[in-house]
Amino acid sequence: MTAVETTALSPGARTSGGGFDITRPIFYGFAALLCVLIVLPVSWLLYYSVVDRTGAFTLGNFGKLFSDPAFLDPLLTTFILSFSTGLICCVVAAPMGWLVARTNMPGGMLVRYLVTASFVTPPFLGAIAWELLAAPNSGLLNKFYRVVTNAPPDEHLFNIYSFTGLIFVIACYTFPYVFVLVANALDRIPGDLEDASSILGGRTWDTARKVTVPLVLPALLAGALVAFLQAMTLFGSPAILALPAGFHTMTTKIWSLFQYPPKPELAAAAALPLLVLTVILLRAEHMILGRRGYAVLGGKSGEPRLIKLGRWRWPALALCFAVLLNPIILPYGALLNAAVSPVASQPVTFATMTLHNIEWVFFELSTTRLAVWNTVILGVSTATIGTVLAVVIAYLTTRKAVRGYRILAFLATTPVAIPGIVLGVGLFLTYTQPPFVLYGTLWILLIAFVTISLPAAYQQLQSAVRAVHPEFEDASRILGATRLRALWQITAPLLRTSVIATWCFIFVGTIRELSAAIMLFTSETKVISVLIFDLNESGDLAAISVLGIMMLVITFAVVIAVNRIPGFGGMRLRNS
Amino acid sequence: MASVELRGLTKFYGPIKVVDNVSLRIDPGKLVCLLGPSGCGKTTTLRLIAGFVEPSDGEITVGDRVISSVRQTVPPERRNMSMIFQSYALWPHMTVAENVAYGLKIRKAGADVIARKLDAILTTTQLGRFADRYPGELSGGQQQRVALARALIVEPETLLLDEPLSNLDANLREEMRFEIRRLHDVFHCTTVYVTHDQSEAMTTADVIAVMNGGRIEQAGSPEEIYDRPRSEFVARFIGNSNVLKGRGLDARTVEFSGVPLQVNGVASANAPAALSIRQHEINLMPAKPQSDSNVVPAKVVRQIFLGGNRDYMVEAGDGTQLRLITSPALSIAPGAPVWLHLPPDKCRVLAE
Repeated sequence: MTAVETTALSPGARTSGGGFDITRPIFYGFAALLCVLIVLPVSWLLYYSVVDRTGAFTLGNFGKLFSDPAFLDPLLTTFILSFSTGLICCVVAAPMGWLVARTNMPGGMLVRYLVTASFVTPPFLGAIAWELLAAPNSGLLNKFYRVVTNAPPDEHLFNIYSFTGLIFVIACYTFPYVFVLVANALDRIPGDLEDASSILGGRTWDTARKVTVPLVLPALLAGALVAFLQAMTLFGSPAILALPAGFHTMTTKIWSLFQYPPKPELAAAAALPLLVLTVILLRAEHMILGRRGYAVLGGKSGEPRLIKLGRWRWPALALCFAVLLNPIILPYGALLNAAVSPVASQPVTFATMTLHNIEWVFFELSTTRLAVWNTVILGVSTATIGTVLAVVIAYLTTRKAVRGYRILAFLATTPVAIPGIVLGVGLFLTYTQPPFVLYGTLWILLIAFVTISLPAAYQQLQSAVRAVHPEFEDASRILGATRLRALWQITAPLLRTSVIATWCFIFVGTIRELSAAIMLFTSETKVISVLIFDLNESGDLAAISVLGIMMLVITFAVVIAVNRIPGFGGMRLRNS
Repeated sequence: MASVELRGLTKFYGPIKVVDNVSLRIDPGKLVCLLGPSGCGKTTTLRLIAGFVEPSDGEITVGDRVISSVRQTVPPERRNMSMIFQSYALWPHMTVAENVAYGLKIRKAGADVIARKLDAILTTTQLGRFADRYPGELSGGQQQRVALARALIVEPETLLLDEPLSNLDANLREEMRFEIRRLHDVFHCTTVYVTHDQSEAMTTADVIAVMNGGRIEQAGSPEEIYDRPRSEFVARFIGNSNVLKGRGLDARTVEFSGVPLQVNGVASANAPAALSIRQHEINLMPAKPQSDSNVVPAKVVRQIFLGGNRDYMVEAGDGTQLRLITSPALSIAPGAPVWLHLPPDKCRVLAE
């Protein structure tokens, strides 16, 4: 019997060692904290959804939700939106993933980098950039079209404020989910499996159809579900593009229910379907990806066989770039242009280039300083608290240091199934009334951000702790180190890079969070993402561009730095 | 140097009794092997001695000091023991020198003492050249030596080894067995060595304790265990014996497969009895011999040519299958009748 088996058998094994054992109180403290973070808002959400104004029990909220066209329309819109996004993402991302992973197309690494870039671009920023590009009158692309074709000034080629425009922009920043899943699956298929088919007489096309495609199908399906989920729970893009076009999705509808006069019961009832669907979709994704036989395909057995494209190599690359034009090249160009141009909707020239916008945003716009300050405070404290929580929980659960560690693991991963806007509603309902009145303070935002960042941080650190063999600590203790000293001298240094990387990722995730923040901010607790949203409503696109580029620079710096750490896979950023 | 004694040591994990009433006395400076198949409780016993696990019942004493009991367990760091782990557990963020000197630093030894002892132990374990390397840059055998050096430098009262050679390849394993024994003879600490490999136990141990199902089946010198197994399990686990089940006729005779066999040991009349005999101790004959004392008729089930010898599976009249080794020249086809001569002094009666 090995030491690991021994530990697995004995929840109490590692708590031995005489003296006062601090793991128990830590466990109860953390379990209680997680309950407050997660159980409390969800409970209030459930409670509000089944009461009326006077507090009496009713199912009327749901009745209204499923009969009033004001709710049925957004429900239907959201469904069509999510479904089309999922479909488009698969159609675009699957061939790209295949080209990058399984063919000798040149520039594969560059394509992967650019897809990663669209992955980490905040979708609301992309939506605003597309306003700059394709608003009917002022959009750069439409202006270009009118110049080229001499069309009259009221004619336009694109209108981003439309249902198709919304689907397009959401798909731009959602297809990376599908791409990453498909490309990873293709990367992992060992060449042997295809060779085995060839040796039995399968031609290239037979092999692709009967072996390769079935092997990546689960990844594609899971990707489609994730894309559906993203489109369904996204708040920023629909708020920016659908509201001017005069229609609602579920997330914008929920948000509007908190505008004056607030209708919290209806908002709670409207949030529940999102919550339930998210749970179901995540379960489905888990089942598809977790199925034995697809998950891990043995060890490294042969390089994947690359298909030679011949003279189609360069057209294939051109196709990839044509796709990447939409999430990256055009929007980033538009943002840069707006940041240094005197008029956001005019193409800049060397003669007109100006730093005025930057100066204005950072030195004249009164709300900027407060928002930046709030964002920094929240980013730093969320990252610190979230990392500490995640590392302690990961340690307790991985080492099975306490009985009931499974409860901790469950609670720490639960928030992944709560969409930001739903959490926002739950927290609003929880903290606007006694015993905890936190609305209007930074605390409520801190609670929201910590909760949102916990699952990814926990999963990251859990695999890091798992990689540190428990015998490392045992070896230190048998040589005379106390438990705390062993943790400090042995475990902590071994976890250091993962902890730093997790901290950075939480920080980056926090400064771009919008959908929970939008429910919880007040004028004194604005953060940059909310400020950008506000500036969009007032039409200050130049200021947005400056702030957005700053946000992108910080994000890319962190992502690039962290990806350089060997053995650190990179963490999923959650889009809002 | 102190003796280590386990008294009635028991450990439950939930309803499962992993260690079952284990009692064992280890004299000062002796090397004891806990030998058994995986899952027999030997590693848990070792971790109980180390203090990583608390006993459900019984106690462990070192000298006259109780270090583990149900009431109180001295934590591992206050036991003055060292341990070598199956994974070696060399800290990857420290160099060889830092790994080895760790225990001395914790004991707050002076810099000059550390330097002197470090130098001495690295020389003894032939690691001098690698002092500034990181563990990841060493071969398996070198890592093993670092683990030994790190454990021995603190001059522990008790040294614990948990399957220390299981990660090495066959040649190196053989070499390290003698190395461990040599270092034990140099340092003379009371040592508990856990392994599932009987030849490893034979090479290194003063005393072997064969464990099965959480209990010690038999403890004794390697010769004792090999020559006089007390139970069927020990007989089968050590030296691949055949176990024959029959009935005692009188103190010196056991009936097996209808044949009265003269035996070595004491059987009880009219009670079930079990004998053990090793594979190479049975004489296989293709024709019925003149004297039929201790001869059992059988037939060949299969045989395999192994180069240096031949491996036979035969079946006696009562259906018992026996495995035996013969010279390679003797080839008998499956199905043919054969006669087995079981020398009386090799037919050991099992006590349990």
